[in-house]
Parts: sequence; structure tokens; C-alpha cells
Amino acid sequence: MTDATLSHPAPASNRGAIAGGIVLAVLAAALAVLPLTMTLSAYVLNMLMQAVTYTVAVLGLTVVLGYTGQLSLAQAAFFGIGAYAVALGTVDYGLGFWLSMVLGLAASAVAGAVLGLTSLRIGGHYLAMVTIAFQQIVTLVLVNSIDVTHGPDGVSGIARPNLPGVSLANAKAYLTFCIVVLYAVGLAVWYLRRTRLGRAMQAVRDNELAAGVVGVNTYRTKVVAFTISAILGGLGGALFASGFSYISPDQFSFAESVVFLTMALIGGVQSAFGTALGTGLLILLPEWLRFLKEIYLAIYGLSVILIMVFMPEGIWGLLERIAHVGGGRPAVVTPRPFRLDIPDSGPADILETRGLAKHFGGLRAVDGVDLKVERGSVHALIGPNGSGKTTLLNVLSGLYRPTGGSVSLAGRDITRLAPHERCAAGVGRTFQNIRLFRSLSILDNVLIGAQRPGAPAKGEAALRERAFEALGFVGLADKASELVGSLPYGHQRLVEIARALAGNPTLLLLDEPAAGLNPTEKQELVELLRRLKGHGLTIFLIDHDMAMVERIADHITVLNFGKRIAEGTPRDVLRHPAVIAAYLGEVPTHGAA
Amino acid sequence: MSITLQLLFTGLGIGSIYALVALGFVLIYRATNVVNFAQGDFSMIGAFLMVVFAVDMGLPYWLSAVIAIAAMAGFGILFNYGVYYPLRHRTFLPVVISTIGASILLQNGVLAAYGPHPQSLPAMLPFPGIAVGGVFLDSQYLLILAVTGAMVVLQYLFFERTMLGKKLQATSQDKEMASLLGIPVALMIGITFAYSAVLGGLAGILVAPLLFVSINMGSTIALKAFAASIIGGFGDVTGAIVGGLALGVVETFGAAYISVPYKDGFAFLVLFLFLMVRPQGVFGEKVAEKA
Amino acid sequence: MTKYGLTALLLCGALTLAASQSIAAETLKIGVVAPVTGPAAESGRFQVNGAKLAAEEVNKAGGVLGKQLELVIEDDQTTNPGAVLAFSKLAGDSDIPAFIGSIRSTQVHAMAPDVIKTGKPMMIGGTDPKLTHMGNPWLFRFRPNDTYSARVIAEYGVNVLKRKKWAIVHSTDAFGTAGKNALADQLKALGAETVITQGYTNNSQDFTPVALAVKAAGAEILSSYVTFETDQGILAKQMRQLGVDLPWIGSTTISTTSALRLAGPALNGTWGVTDFAEKSSPASEAFSQKYMAAYNTKADVFSAWPYDAVTVLAKAINDAGSTDPEKIRAALMAISGFAGAEGTYDFDQNGDGLHGYNIVHNDNGTIVFERRIDFKD
Repeated sequence: MTDATLSHPAPASNRGAIAGGIVLAVLAAALAVLPLTMTLSAYVLNMLMQAVTYTVAVLGLTVVLGYTGQLSLAQAAFFGIGAYAVALGTVDYGLGFWLSMVLGLAASAVAGAVLGLTSLRIGGHYLAMVTIAFQQIVTLVLVNSIDVTHGPDGVSGIARPNLPGVSLANAKAYLTFCIVVLYAVGLAVWYLRRTRLGRAMQAVRDNELAAGVVGVNTYRTKVVAFTISAILGGLGGALFASGFSYISPDQFSFAESVVFLTMALIGGVQSAFGTALGTGLLILLPEWLRFLKEIYLAIYGLSVILIMVFMPEGIWGLLERIAHVGGGRPAVVTPRPFRLDIPDSGPADILETRGLAKHFGGLRAVDGVDLKVERGSVHALIGPNGSGKTTLLNVLSGLYRPTGGSVSLAGRDITRLAPHERCAAGVGRTFQNIRLFRSLSILDNVLIGAQRPGAPAKGEAALRERAFEALGFVGLADKASELVGSLPYGHQRLVEIARALAGNPTLLLLDEPAAGLNPTEKQELVELLRRLKGHGLTIFLIDHDMAMVERIADHITVLNFGKRIAEGTPRDVLRHPAVIAAYLGEVPTHGAA
Repeated sequence: MSITLQLLFTGLGIGSIYALVALGFVLIYRATNVVNFAQGDFSMIGAFLMVVFAVDMGLPYWLSAVIAIAAMAGFGILFNYGVYYPLRHRTFLPVVISTIGASILLQNGVLAAYGPHPQSLPAMLPFPGIAVGGVFLDSQYLLILAVTGAMVVLQYLFFERTMLGKKLQATSQDKEMASLLGIPVALMIGITFAYSAVLGGLAGILVAPLLFVSINMGSTIALKAFAASIIGGFGDVTGAIVGGLALGVVETFGAAYISVPYKDGFAFLVLFLFLMVRPQGVFGEKVAEKA
Repeated sequence: MTKYGLTALLLCGALTLAASQSIAAETLKIGVVAPVTGPAAESGRFQVNGAKLAAEEVNKAGGVLGKQLELVIEDDQTTNPGAVLAFSKLAGDSDIPAFIGSIRSTQVHAMAPDVIKTGKPMMIGGTDPKLTHMGNPWLFRFRPNDTYSARVIAEYGVNVLKRKKWAIVHSTDAFGTAGKNALADQLKALGAETVITQGYTNNSQDFTPVALAVKAAGAEILSSYVTFETDQGILAKQMRQLGVDLPWIGSTTISTTSALRLAGPALNGTWGVTDFAEKSSPASEAFSQKYMAAYNTKADVFSAWPYDAVTVLAKAINDAGSTDPEKIRAALMAISGFAGAEGTYDFDQNGDGLHGYNIVHNDNGTIVFERRIDFKD
């Protein structure tokens, strides 16, 4: 790590996390030793064993749901795959615990990856439904493939593993082992949040569209998240099977998946600690409520509602919020000056479209547009409302597949590339309605931009440095640790620009960057764009503010009803009769025409 | 031939039940963007109310049904205020978990209040059924098909022809706009819950003579209904009905010609394949995310 | 914040520890694991009622070792983890010398490893033959296991009703599958033919495909292994509606009170095998009358076996003169010719107490005892 990173204090969220990490270490150490030192009744041992093995599986939901925002209702199925692998492997095939477990984890991983792969076509609650379908099919196979799975009888007599020199046959020793595994998994999941992959996951969760545009391969990220989640589910199941030595299909049903989900959400799904807390609570709660006899499960249901009503972010979410009331310290760091690494060679027109078209059913939003954007210029795209400007930008950044025509960047055909691939090719963009990763800090937002594939900055330290450079360029380095949601509107726009800049683009697409800014902020924006132009960056922007466009654009293209109606220098274009005609009824804010 | 017809009839009958519950899902989803995991328990509550009024208190059938359905409307409003309303500004997941909590509460609440014995409800029509050719048309299934058909027509008229229906539609399409137009959004959502509970309850009442009344009667139905609403294109009313009927038929034929134990799997296998080929469902949910 | 978490955690530990301590042993406690909630909650209610009835009688007769019997009931939620937790909670109480377990085989399987560790006898109602054949010395079964039901069904259908072509409908759960396999074997041994076998998963809402398949198969007799009463009810109604009018011998569920109430006339004329039949013996009749007097409901197998279990267990502890588990075990093994509500108990070396079944007939909604078939092995 460089000095620049070391001198930079951890952002508030990280600070809480580090404190949390210490708490985890102490707690885990205490818990791991606890069963060895105390006399625990079988009841307490069983309860702890269940809590610990379940937590490992629920941590999978932290990754897939908490970090990546994908609802999975098949965690019990993965739990079952792991459990059955160990059960059948040790009981029927004599493979031993470790080999069986590895096979189980591999099977879980493959199943998880397949579920993740379906997310290419399916999102949101559809994906959730696919997970339910998978869950149901796994249950049916467990019940009905009697020859292999023993059917509803379940598998009994599952042995516990041995470590070299240590027998884990004793319940206390085994529990300690499980706690150590949980500790390792918990730490890994907690740490994951701070890695490239973890940030990419959170970007997908907070704003999938923007994540793709800033270079996150959203599809691969989701597949990886599902795979990790499935592996953790399988691991929990493997430990569970050996812990209880008997398993049967009803333990891995849809209802159990719902229980897993509830555990994750009650505690706070975005945090490994919350997950552990929620799991423990949901196992203990019905046990504590046993004294209520007949109505205890009803009271338990009521408690679930009440926790959600009063603590919608989960118990840990609430605790974290209380702990955060103090606020973060401002960062004291002077970033190095901003650099852009733009290749000089290549054709004079950095962006070129030919006959580009995008139709929505009968609506021709973009209708055969030819466009050339000169390297190093500021090129503005204007047109009345509904003329297809944003659609065109979405086609350029890859959010929409064009109906026809081609797009090339610096001579390379990028028509078929996905958003993140275009980003890797050097296209950065911002959105009209700001699309930041709202639950992350400003720094993390820009870091996600900096870590785009193919960017020069490699390694965590270099990434941070790069992010600070970009933030310094837009004048927000001192606010790096704040959450983006807390920033004023104008600053959020700047963060979006910084996020794009951090990825070292060669072409920057800006969708109405001046919208919602006050005159001072607009002036600052103009200055910023001029400085960027000075760095050799090509800028392609949409805006309605003709005065501003006139001041900064070298070139203007006018769009109406999806067709290009004029093109040229600002002076020529704004006097073009077709342009004036197109704007009739919508008076431009430009006064001196 | 008669076997095919028999299976088709049964499939449509079961499918109608899925369709009614799926409608409840879809209406709540459209109004609140929430998937209600307690939807199946609405059916369970409706059926138990029917048992209380018709069997325990010995009221006439039609009167019991009217009271039970009215009670379901009230229950829906109560559910709204207890489970959804406090969380209305929250994201999707806390509300979902809240409905899961409600489901646990309802099932175990009824268990504590009524005991674990499954109850039977006599068939609603005075004859067991009609035999046409080699096909036996169970009177209860006939009733279910008729009621589902009637509900579909009534619902169409209600949403398209009445002011309240239009207000409800406006609310489900754009809450902000609706509230700007002076539509009391909170009330509309309350009504949606009431109506959804009525649909769920109705399904429960209709199915009670066939499947008996037990604490978990709603769980399986709800899961299938959820699948049905996805097949139909989540958020689409016609889709929910078509999805429900299709699911019932596919499942019945799958059981007859492929495997009975894997019956529940066909629904989900079809769903899985279906989503891969046509992720937006038959009628397509209108989700165009604007960049 | 974490301090609170830790405190809460410790508090919970303390609470559970405290809960497992008993204050003083004025009573002799018997642990009962029963499904009070969940899908089998109905049978759980019967189980608790049967056990309570027996405990009251034992107490009126002077109790056990001079103390009053006290039943400590824990809910297994009809789930395996629930059963494990419920049992281990009871097992943590060192004052409990023996337990009454579940009627569901899968839950007994789940508890079995912990029962071995605890080293105290458990009376069970699960009928999966394996339970008493897997080297667990502490399980004592108070119902005949499923190999006997298959033998009785085959014996009665082939030799008494003279039917050779059989249709078997079974639940695909542990009970149904084991029963189906045993029955197919027995039929083959008796020279009868199984023309069709149809499995279904529990809680099916519709049996049309099953009924149509059976109808088309040309069987002379229908036999069934059904787990849940609701399934039994729907199956019966649809079988009759779709024109399957074959003679029908079913497993125990076909003659339970709930199944009769749910299915109504659809089950008229069927035969059932049942370990408990009201008129099968004076002991059964006496139990039925007492049960009716106490709960105003007809007794059935779900209440008969725990009634016997508590009665026999009390006798064994009294015979042993001690709560030492080994001595109780020996006393249970020594039980011979004890006339219970379920039949006459003779524990073999596996821990199986009963070795035969009753055949009952549904006579227009009334269950009539036909005969008892017992086997020597």
C-alpha cells in the first residue's frame, strides 16, 4: 500500500466494519472455546450446532441477496445438496467426509452457476421464481429418487470427520470445528464486500444499469454471486449433516428456504454479522417462546412482522445506524493531479455511426442516424423532447441493442458489445436521472469506475489513488467517505462524472449534465468540461440549455423524430431553418438566436 | 378420448383455483409491488370461516358464504394495516418478510384457535355431478369453473366500467400521478387488499369441499398460483387466469402420462423452460426501465 | 451495541440452562415428544390425549415407585430439527428416565442418534421396520411394524377375499414406499399378481390420473398405503366418482376417525388393517370407552399406542423398581402377554412389542372388527 492510501482514514462504513471485525474476532474466539470449556446440555449443543451450520448457509444469502441484490429462494436446496453429498458419500459410497464434502460443494457450485446463468434472460422476481422452481425440483428428486437418495426415509448414521490427529466425533469438538469454519466463512464474506468483486456486486445491487455502463460485467458478477452463495449453502449443509447424523428431504424444502431468507433479512442481509445475528435469533426465538405452548409459533410470526416494521434493515442495520450517528471524519488527503491516458493514434473520428436505428414496435425512436464525432472535440446532440436523444445515447453505451446500423469507436466496430465491454473499450457515460450506487460511499462509487476492465490502475492501492485523483479533479476529494445519498444534487452529478473519469475513458457521453443545476453550478460544469477537453478527452453530450451548448460545443447535431436534421458548428446549426422549425413550440433557452 | 376429456376437466377445475389465487397475487403486486406470501393463507382463513358459519353455527350455505366473504374483505383491510401499511415506504424485501411472518402467524393462530383437525365441508350443490359419456363432471368443479368465469367477467366490468375500478387501476399504474389527481391512494391500496382477500377467501371456500379445510391447505395452492401468475406475466390480470388454467391442465396431464409423484415438478419445469424462452410471460409485464 | 448482543446471548444460555434444571423430584417425569404444531398437529393432539389418559390411570392406581407420573411434553413442530431439539431439551433433564417418541418414523430416525447417546429407553409409534433393526437398543415399538401390515393385507385379500389381480396406490413417503414394497413381495409369495402400482406425493390435491390409471388396469382389488387423512379422503371420493368400485383394503389411515369424517360414504365397504380396533379385545374396548368418556371423541391408533406406551412403561419401571435405564430396558424386554389397547405385547430382541394386525370393515360408516391376524415371527 502506498502512503497516499495509508494516510487516508478509513471511510465511515469501513470504520464500523473494522470495529465489527474486532467484535467478530473476539466473539468467534469466545464462542469457539465456549463449548469446550462449558458443560452444555445436549439441547444447547444441538441448538448451537443448528445455529452455526445454518449461519454458514445464510451467509450465502448475504452474498447473493445482501451484496448483489438477487433474491434466491433455493438456499435450502443447496443446503440439501451439500448435506446429501456428505450423507450419501459417507454412508453409501464410503468416500469419507472430506471427499464427499468437496463433491457436494462442486455440485452446489455447478447448480448455483446454472441458476446464475439463467439471470442472463431473467431478472427480479422472475429470477426468484426460477430459484423456487429449482428448489421444488430438488425436493421432488430427493423424495422420489429412492434408489439414490433413500427417498423420504432420509439417510441415517452419517459419521463425523476427523482432522489429522484430532477426532471430531465428540459433539463439542465438532461444534468447535464448525465454529472455526463459520469464522473463516464469515471473515471471507465480510472481506468480500471490500474487494473488486464485492464492489461490483454492490454496484449491480444498487443500480444494475449504471453498473454495466461503468464497466461491471453484471452478468458474470451475478453468476459468481450465485455460485458463491450455492457453495456456502452446500458447506452449511455438509456440516449440518455430520452434526446431526440424520437428514431427510423435508429439512431442505421450500419452507426452509423461506426460513433462511427470513433469517438473513431479520438480522440485516447486507452484513455478515447481521446474518449471524438473524440466524441465531430465529433459531433461538421459537425455543425461548416454547413456554407459550400452543400459541408460541403464532407469537413468533408476529415477532417477525414487528421486527420488519420497526427494523426494516434488520436488527444489525438498526445497530449500525445507531453506531453511525456520529458521522464520518473528513478525509485529509491531497490527491495527485488527474491524468487521462488517451492514445493519440487512430482515426480522426473517434465515434462513428452508420444508419443507426432503434425501433420500439412501430415507434422509430432513432431512425437511420449517421454521426461522426471528432477526436478531442466537444460534440453536442440537441433536439426537442422525444426526438430520440437519450435513446441514441443508450444505443451508443450499449443499453439498447440497435435495430439496425453500426457503431464504431476509434475504428473498431462495437455495435454488438455489451455495456461493460464498451466501457472497457473506452466509453464512459453519465445519466440524466443520476444513477449512483446509493448505498455506497462516494469513494466506493468512484472506485467501481476505476476498476473497470482494461483500466491502467491495478491493485487496491492504485485503484484508490486513481479514485482520489478523479474526485480531486471534480473537487470532492474531501467528501470521499460520505454516502452519496447525503450529497446535494449538483455534487451527485460530479460524482457520476468522476466515476466515469476514474475508468480513464477516451469518449465521455453526458446525458443532460446541466439539468437541475443552478447558474453557479452550471458555470462550474462548463469549466470542468473545458478542463477535460484540455486533457484530450472527447465529449459527446445532450443538453437543453442552448446557451451552455453554444459556449462549449465545437460541433452540434440536431435530432428530430429520430432523424438527424442538421449538423455543424453552433453558429450555423442554431440558425438552420429546419432546426428553428423543429423547436417551434418549444422555445430554446438560448436568447440570442 | 374420455380419459383425455376427464383429465382436461379436472385440470381446468384445479387450474381455476390457481387462477383465483393468482389474481389475488397479481392485484396486490400491481398496487404495491409486493409479493404477498400470505396469499394462500387468505384461502385457508376463508375456508375456516365457512366451516365456522356453515358447519359449527349451522347457518344456510349462501348466508355463510356471504358473511365469510364480507369478513374476508374486512380481514384484507386489517391485513393491509397490520402487515403492509407500516412498511409502505420500504423496499420490496422487508414487506415480503413481513408477509411471511403474517403467514406463520395466521397458520398458527388458526391452529391455536381451532385445533389441528382438518374439517370437511359438504359439497355446495345438491348433486354430486354429471356423467357425460365416460366423463364425470364433479358438481363442485363445475361450480368452481362457473364462479371463476363469473369473477373474470365481473372484474373486467368493475375495472373498466366503474369509477372506483378506474381509480384502482390508476393507482396501480402510477401512485404519484394518482395522488396528484386527487385519488386517495392509501384507501385504494386498502381496497385492493380487501378485494384480494375476497378472491383468496373465495378460492378457499370453493375448494374446501374438495380438498378439505386444514391449516396448510393454502401453502401448496399459493405456490402454484404464484407460478401461474409468473407464467401469465406478473402483473397481468388475463395472464394470471390463463397461467392458472394452463398450469392446472399441464400438471394433470403430466401426472397422468408421465409420472404422478413428479406432478408438482411439471409446473415448475414448465415454468423454468417458459421463463428461459419468454421471460416476460405470456402477456408480458410492462417493465421498461428508462435510462 | 455488541455488549447488548453478548449479554443477550449469555442471558439466553442462562435461561436455557435454568429451564433444564428441575426444582425437586416429587413426581416421576416422562418426556413426550409430540407434533403439537405443523402438518401432523392433529395426530399430536391424539398422542398427548392418549398419554395423559394413561398417566391419570397410573396415578390413580398409586403412581410409579410411589410417585405421581408427570408428562413433560415438547413440540417437535412435525420437523426433524424440531424433533431433535425437543428431544435434546427433554434429555437434558436428568430426572426423566424414559421418553415417549413420535408416531412418525422420520422423526424417530432424526432423534435416534441422540437417543443412543442419552442411553435411556424411548417408546415409539413409527412403523418403519428399520427403526428397531439398526442396532439401537433403546427404541421400543408399541405398534406392529409395516412388514406385518403388508402380510396381513396380502393374507386377507388373497386367501379370504380370493382376489388375484392387485392394484397398489401408495404415498411416496417412507411409510408408503416401504409398505408398497413389502406388499408386492407378499403378493408374489402368495401367487397373486400386482397389475398396477401408483405412487403420489403427500398433500396431493387431485387423484384423477391415479384413479383413471387404476380403472384402466383391470385389477380385482385395490390396496393402499396412504399417510394423511386428507389424502385418503380425496382419494376415496375421486376413486368412487370416477367409477373405481373395486374392493379396497387400505393401511391404517383408511379406518381412522378423521378419514371417515372427511371421506364420508366414499369409504363404505372398505377393509382396513389397523393395529387398533375398538372391538378387537376387552382391553381395546375398555380403552375406547375411557377415551370417549374423557375426550368425547372416538379413540384411534394415534391415541391408543401412547396410552399403551405410558401404561407399559409405568409397569416396567415398577417391575424394575428403579429408574435405572438398563433396568427399565430389561423390564420392558421381560414384558410378555400384556394385554394393551393395541394388542398383546411380547417384546422381541429388537424391541418390537406387537406382531400382528386387525382387519376391520367399514360398514356404512361404522368400523366393525373382523378378525385379528398375528404372526409368530
